[in-house]
Amino acid sequence: MRKMGYLSDKFSRTFTPFGIVKNLFRKPMTLQFPYESLPPVEGYRGRHVLDLDKCNGCCICCMICPNKAIGLVDFRGRKYPQVNLGKCCFCQLCEEYCNVKAITLSKEAMMVTMDKESAILGPEALSKLPTQ
Amino acid sequence: MEEREIAFLTVPFGPQHPASGHFHALLKVDGETVLELEPHPGYLHRGFEKLMEYRVHPQNCVLVDRADVLDPFSCELGYANAIEKIAGLEIPERGRYIRTIMAELGRILSHITWIGVLSMVLGFDSANKIAWGDREKILRLNEIATGGRLYPCYLCIGGVRRDISREFVDETSKALDYLEGQLSFYDYFVFKNETFVMRMEKVGRMSAKEAIDLGATGPNLRACGIDYDVRKDEPYEVYPKVEFNVITREEGDAYARSLCRRDEIAESISIVRQLLKNLPDGPYRVELGPGCITLEGESYFCLESARGEKCFHVVSDGSPCPYRVKIRAPSFLHTLSEFPYLARGSTIADIPAIYWSLDSCPADMDR
Repeated sequence: MRKMGYLSDKFSRTFTPFGIVKNLFRKPMTLQFPYESLPPVEGYRGRHVLDLDKCNGCCICCMICPNKAIGLVDFRGRKYPQVNLGKCCFCQLCEEYCNVKAITLSKEAMMVTMDKESAILGPEALSKLPTQ
Repeated sequence: MEEREIAFLTVPFGPQHPASGHFHALLKVDGETVLELEPHPGYLHRGFEKLMEYRVHPQNCVLVDRADVLDPFSCELGYANAIEKIAGLEIPERGRYIRTIMAELGRILSHITWIGVLSMVLGFDSANKIAWGDREKILRLNEIATGGRLYPCYLCIGGVRRDISREFVDETSKALDYLEGQLSFYDYFVFKNETFVMRMEKVGRMSAKEAIDLGATGPNLRACGIDYDVRKDEPYEVYPKVEFNVITREEGDAYARSLCRRDEIAESISIVRQLLKNLPDGPYRVELGPGCITLEGESYFCLESARGEKCFHVVSDGSPCPYRVKIRAPSFLHTLSEFPYLARGSTIADIPAIYWSLDSCPADMDR
């Protein structure tokens, strides 16, 4: 009896014209990535942006970073953070603990590099706003 | 006549087997029958318990996500609650509601991933793809609420790190409606499918007493007829204010465990709906003040994760880092005590079905 029910159910699902037509017009689940992508959500945790005017070089972001991805470097005669994106886990603790709100995480998600050295972003590269 | 010694064949299962994950087991077989199974865990061991001793508490809340990749909220909730227990913090009502919502979404996320993997190992590749597609709906909710897909880094000591928006509430109701519709599809496509039933029924059967002796928790224990759920028996967060049933089954086989998990998705959907309906206004986080929190004391907190009872034992000696953290991971016992017991006497073809009906996550097992 169970088998009969199963077969009739399968028959109605597979061979009814409605089922076939519905499948034809159903939206695909995936997106063709390089040509289309999901819009980034508000508050997405992407690449860091550093405000050079606000930063006072207090190093609290270096201390709270769980992966030690942030270090201080000399830039224009002062100390500024540099971020190693290869080590970063995008936890946003640096933004949360920054007293002057100088370091923030932007929506930029495309951070692929061809070598390890280009994944380390200095203060100048960090201060550039993301390209939308 | 010369006596010959019978040599049994040893067949490895994993770690490159698509059905094993980062887990290796040696099967001693006699023809098709498995005589003995020797589990070899440790392929995903990252030493979280030791790493956490060198990090301050806010850093640990981020790190502990990785201990169970498929259900990260349960780890965060456990660690944050253990620390709050030592510190004696009172979390605002809204924070508690948001935490419970996220914990239940994590359970749905884990169970849907499990439907996908179980379907894959049993040969239903279409169901696998569809389940992983449905999982994206929950991952998108994670992204909207927390800013990260897989690793939310969302729950923190004192509440949650940001408030949920109106958009999240709307998107969640839409996603839950969709998933509820998909459940009937999974019923038809997977759970009531004749091939699925034939492969899962009466496979890997254990009685209630055996389940307790082997240390089973979560859906694996409830599938043996024992009505034990930490959410009901030792309620935490806002579970006492929510109405839900503890799903139990009597059979104790792989099929019963599967149906238990399937029904738990429906139950979790109803819990999230109730919580979103009664979501209070107000603060979502306690302000802890500047500097690192230093604590002295010891606490033990257990919660119901997607796989079973997960416990955190934290000892702190007055420094900003914990002195010792012990995580009781449910998958550890599922794989190391139940799996070898259930595999004994079964056929080789049943091994993936038994392994995945126990729903063990290698990341959770090795930590």
